[in-house]
Amino acid sequence: MSNEPVVKEKVDLDPRYIFRLTGILLAICAVVSLLLAVVNSATEPIITAMQAEKTAKAMAQVLQAEEYDPVSVSVPGVTAVSEARTGGKRVGHVVEVTTNGFGGAINMVVGVDADGAVTGVSVIKHTETGNIGTKVVGDSAVLGRFAGMSLDKGEITVNSGANRFDGVTGATVSSKGVAAGVNAALAAVAQLG
Amino acid sequence: MNFGKQLKEGIITNNPVLVQLLGLCSTLAITTSVSNGLGMGVAVLIVLTCSNVVISLLRKVIPDQIRIAAYIVVIAGFVTMVDLLLQAYLPEIAESLGIFIPLIVVNCIVLGRAEAFASKHGILASAVDGICQGIGYTLVLLVICVIRELLGTGAVNGVQIFPAQYAAMMMTLPVGGFLTLGAVIAAVQWAQRKSKGGK
Repeated sequence: MSNEPVVKEKVDLDPRYIFRLTGILLAICAVVSLLLAVVNSATEPIITAMQAEKTAKAMAQVLQAEEYDPVSVSVPGVTAVSEARTGGKRVGHVVEVTTNGFGGAINMVVGVDADGAVTGVSVIKHTETGNIGTKVVGDSAVLGRFAGMSLDKGEITVNSGANRFDGVTGATVSSKGVAAGVNAALAAVAQLG
Repeated sequence: MNFGKQLKEGIITNNPVLVQLLGLCSTLAITTSVSNGLGMGVAVLIVLTCSNVVISLLRKVIPDQIRIAAYIVVIAGFVTMVDLLLQAYLPEIAESLGIFIPLIVVNCIVLGRAEAFASKHGILASAVDGICQGIGYTLVLLVICVIRELLGTGAVNGVQIFPAQYAAMMMTLPVGGFLTLGAVIAAVQWAQRKSKGGK
């Protein structure tokens, strides 16, 4: 008995066989792509509409107003700013921010009133650790602690400084991430004046 | 083909997690709460059954040399479809499972069963194999979830059993996952050996 490996097939010598393999793989990929395209075109409008609705709900939650009018501003992390108006009068701004938590990006909406103070914070999407980071991003009572804070006493810092936000024990990174998002939102509104 | 035998294999003697040691990454990552475990288990069960059926159907068409690539394409296609459909029609479930749905693509159980079973057996047997292995995976997830959630947060499926301040938060962190998984594997091996010795 020899220990040499047995070469079963010499496929690489026959170009026709290689073409056949390629063709089969191509066919499988084509069928799967086609199916995916069908499913995607059927579900995409529903998903987009649902996300828009979710954002609209979060905006209404952080700052109630009759209409939201997009304005442009460039602050890192801020993805959109809308001017909130009721009866044609400006009541503040709603800022959509993307910030970094422990497990990746946190998408949130921050409401800021006409005096530059936070009216509310709502997290739309996050990937924080269950039972730890979610104690910050998933708890409206914790997020509610941002209400009334502004940049008057400098940037918001977690568990220290003059403008102190009390984070959640064990979830410092998530707390800091959310605080950074609120800072970015306040900075964006300050830039608008 | 024997449903009872395949079910026993899926749950105990050839359990995907405890015996084949497949899909450990997802097992460790998501078993922090019972609702997560159940959702992930059912999602894997559905994808596994669908991919087993399709791969069994195609087993004579797909040449050996490109089978892995072909299986991956089929599995990834199914997972993406399930993901999109969940997002569109069952947004609450899609939200709580988040990143774990796309992760099913790289769950070795699905590819492992395609390679070890579906590529060699008929459609019906492959579907039954998908269901049985899926049930086995789900049960193990639930056992680990209950242990980790109870010790880590003092609750089971959100129902508080003992006050949260006495809980060891470590159990919901990765280290708790490794400890629990190791203990569960050891316990099942011990029980199996003991029952064999008894006979």
